[in-house]
Amino acid sequence: MTVDKIKTENFSLFYSGKMALNNISITIPEKKVTAFIGPSGCGKSTFLRSLNRMNDLIEGVKIEGKVMIDNIDIYDKNIDVVNLRKKVGMVFQKSNPFAKSVYENVAYGPRINGLSNKNQLDEIVENALKNAAIWDEVKDRLGDSALGLSGGQQQRLCIARTLAVNPEIVLMDEPASALDPLSTAKIEELIVQLKEHYTIVIVTHNMQQAARISDQTAFFYLGLLIEYDKTRKIFTNPDKKQTEDYITGRFG
Amino acid sequence: MENYRIFDSELEKLSHKVIQMCSQVNQQLVDVVIALQTTDLALAKKVINNDEYINNLDVKIDKLCQKIFALQQPVASDLRYILSVLKINNDLERIGDHAVNIAKRIEPLSDYTDLVEELGIDLLGDKITELFSDVLEVVKTHDLTYAEKIYVKVTGIKEECKKITGKILGEMMHQSEVVVVAANVLIIINLFERIASYSTNLAESITFVVEGEIVKHRRHK
Repeated sequence: MTVDKIKTENFSLFYSGKMALNNISITIPEKKVTAFIGPSGCGKSTFLRSLNRMNDLIEGVKIEGKVMIDNIDIYDKNIDVVNLRKKVGMVFQKSNPFAKSVYENVAYGPRINGLSNKNQLDEIVENALKNAAIWDEVKDRLGDSALGLSGGQQQRLCIARTLAVNPEIVLMDEPASALDPLSTAKIEELIVQLKEHYTIVIVTHNMQQAARISDQTAFFYLGLLIEYDKTRKIFTNPDKKQTEDYITGRFG
Repeated sequence: MENYRIFDSELEKLSHKVIQMCSQVNQQLVDVVIALQTTDLALAKKVINNDEYINNLDVKIDKLCQKIFALQQPVASDLRYILSVLKINNDLERIGDHAVNIAKRIEPLSDYTDLVEELGIDLLGDKITELFSDVLEVVKTHDLTYAEKIYVKVTGIKEECKKITGKILGEMMHQSEVVVVAANVLIIINLFERIASYSTNLAESITFVVEGEIVKHRRHK
């Protein structure tokens, strides 16, 4: 049975009064991969960042409507944003490892959350690296600088770092767009594996990537959610002409 | 906001070839029916020889579909169209083969034109060419009103085939000397019936292109 993990109700977002998201209502299922697609500037990344309140950091942002995670309004004034971001992790387009060792990159989150027991940290680091499908490649050089890893490895390390704080949702903003096809394939395979334990929401410009890895696809255009359905439906027989035109490359 | 896609020229080329294939098969059917009705053996021969052209076109269309799949990764209506073209192409090629099989049986029937007329094979041939002109239209225009016409006509043709088959079996029982010719007529009727069935498939494939719904196996149970 599918459980609803994220639910937004008439969610709108304004940058200094300018509407960037217009009345988005969507329900994202638990332990599935949901892809957001749409042309640049359509609001998909803004919407993704709204799901763990990353937009709070931008000045002049105003929101309307609700974002509910596990039926709790994450924009409620009593919400602890740090805890929220622990529960809803994020992986960015460009891998951004800290200039520290591989081990320290992954241990960083648990450490700032107060964990100092070496054995426990070792276990968390190992599990996170295994879950991010990079353990075998780095297990013999945990003490080396993360900056010495390849681009694809750095991105998987960043995924491991996100997983180390035990999130329930992982948001990914074009996680493979800067990677070569082989690294991209690894990230895609990893995403499909991760949905066993996590709810994944991914923004991608790569239409075939959305088609390959996601269960649900949402198409955004000019701040509107145009169509949201099973990925198979979107890529074989979308209901809306705008969706059809976009995915077939007729506009955008 | 409309983009011109490199893909579009490939699709145009494909669509052009499919219509060309359908027109050729249509001509084969028109010719074979006339040949059957008038015992025109030269025309029957022309139908047999023209099959090679259709076979070549069949291979060209398959290759073009393969190329588009590999290089363009079609989705949505493009995907449905190319998937359907593969099937349409296959069905058209089979109809072409059936026209040839009918053409090959015209000579053995040449001494029995009265029987052929009496059984109503002439009229059945006319119905097949009328049916196929609707097939050509639906393939050209994607106008599904032709699909509906096709379904109705196919039902009529199949009933007609059944009726004629019954008549032939009756003749065979009473006059053993007609067994050989009757066997040929039975085969021709069966081929006409198959052509009608393929026409239904073609209408269903175009319906899938237009509506995205798989409608085969849903009708005429």
